[in-house]
Amino acid sequence: MLFDNFSHMLTYWAETAPDAPALRYENAVLTHRALLDAVNARTEEYRASGKTCLGVLADGSLDCVISVFAANLAGLQLVMLDESLSEAALAPLIEYTDIDVLWGDPDVTKALASSLTGGTDRWTGNVLFFTSGTTERAKAVVLSDTSLMRSAWNGSEKLPLNSRDTLLNILPLNHVFGFVCGLLWGLSSGACVALGRGARHYFDDCAFYKPSAVSVVPLLLGYLLRADALNPELRILLVGAGECKPELLDAVKAKGIRLAFGYGLTETSSGVAISTGGDPYAMEICPDYVVTLARDGEILINCPPCMMRGYYKHPAETEKVLINGVLLTGDLGAFDDKGRLRITGRKKDMLVLADGTKIFLPEYEERLSNVLARSELAVILRGSRPVLVLYGNGDKSEILRTIAPLMAEYPRGQQLTDVLFTREPFPRTATGKLKRWELQQKAGLL
Amino acid sequence: MTRAEILEKTKAVIFDCFPEMESQELTEDTVINTETAIDSMGFILIICKLEALFDVKIPERQWKKLSTLGDVVSAIEKHIA
Repeated sequence: MLFDNFSHMLTYWAETAPDAPALRYENAVLTHRALLDAVNARTEEYRASGKTCLGVLADGSLDCVISVFAANLAGLQLVMLDESLSEAALAPLIEYTDIDVLWGDPDVTKALASSLTGGTDRWTGNVLFFTSGTTERAKAVVLSDTSLMRSAWNGSEKLPLNSRDTLLNILPLNHVFGFVCGLLWGLSSGACVALGRGARHYFDDCAFYKPSAVSVVPLLLGYLLRADALNPELRILLVGAGECKPELLDAVKAKGIRLAFGYGLTETSSGVAISTGGDPYAMEICPDYVVTLARDGEILINCPPCMMRGYYKHPAETEKVLINGVLLTGDLGAFDDKGRLRITGRKKDMLVLADGTKIFLPEYEERLSNVLARSELAVILRGSRPVLVLYGNGDKSEILRTIAPLMAEYPRGQQLTDVLFTREPFPRTATGKLKRWELQQKAGLL
Repeated sequence: MTRAEILEKTKAVIFDCFPEMESQELTEDTVINTETAIDSMGFILIICKLEALFDVKIPERQWKKLSTLGDVVSAIEKHIA
């Protein structure tokens, strides 16, 4: 179903299938009617509060989802925040995005009370997602409930669910892939969405909820397979937000589960292309999206209904990547003879990790350079884990000790796992730009 | 249960989840993220198994602060009934 916004979706299902289950969390079940009632009641609270911008420490719980929908219906700007971030990391994000009220762990919201702002100038209805939760120059992508609903519809057109399905949302809701493919995909289809019970239950949520569909990032998929945690009722598995090893995809297929691989960006409200056939890397373009390739192979996307409004308070940054409505993705791709998109590499200085998060290298490396007082360094991936490469010699243990306080500011998956030394100067272009992928290949020999 | 017993059981869980690490010597000073093959999700898997084994719940917000194997043992020790 194509819905105009959150309100349209919630109202439609409350009228069409009032007693059908909409959300499950642990043993509680909320019907579509009960969900709408709960959202409406919370909406009135937000309206009466006079607040303008809600920051959500997204723990994915039932109350979290109700607050998200209610704040949007009340016209508040919504900011989806990573609940695992430290208070020190959250405070500047609150200031930057004009949050004047927080939802989340009471201890954390209390501790952050002094960071709250005076709010936005006007009620915007914006929905903000961070491209990465922990960058010094954090950028929030401005989306809307309309763009998110449209994205969910695009995915559903390629990979439909129905009212008999249970979609397990095991991903964080502050990640646009989790929000669209873990929540809206199911709700907009009339399926029941089972809300994951947090990281502690990653490996038993499938057995507990017995979902028929689940969306995962590659790293999580690997461990679900390792722990033999996929339930026999599972029929659709959607993988996105990172590169996935072929052996994992083969293991899923061997279980008789329909496997789909998705490509999307926060800037495009998630889903751009999705594979639905035998080859998971050959992705069909979703209906609303127009994808073309630049001369150098960069993927360019045009999709007015799903495109971001821009980066929050960063018009210059927006203008760099969104030109006449076309998004320069920084990803490289190619079309096969059937018109399906294949991702072939990355143009921009960014590492996409298997857990779906990203490291923005210029900033990350600058901070390392400042801490280590060394300029010739680079961060690359070895396997799926980030490692530091240094030109010259050094004491690995000493370097790891020196960068430990800096690393503690990053999520575990974004922390450097090793230090490599090379006596050869870094490979660079004629203009001095690091040939990172060449260095990555050489690093295998270090 | 003694600290040494917790450490031994913790190592057994790690080797069970990561058989490829069985030849590696693990001590309380071993830094999990840089000195082992355990990545961020592997760490969660191990913590989940340890919580079940020792019947404890280590608050999720503390997981990020567990850097060494000794930190993990201390957290279990603290929450054990």
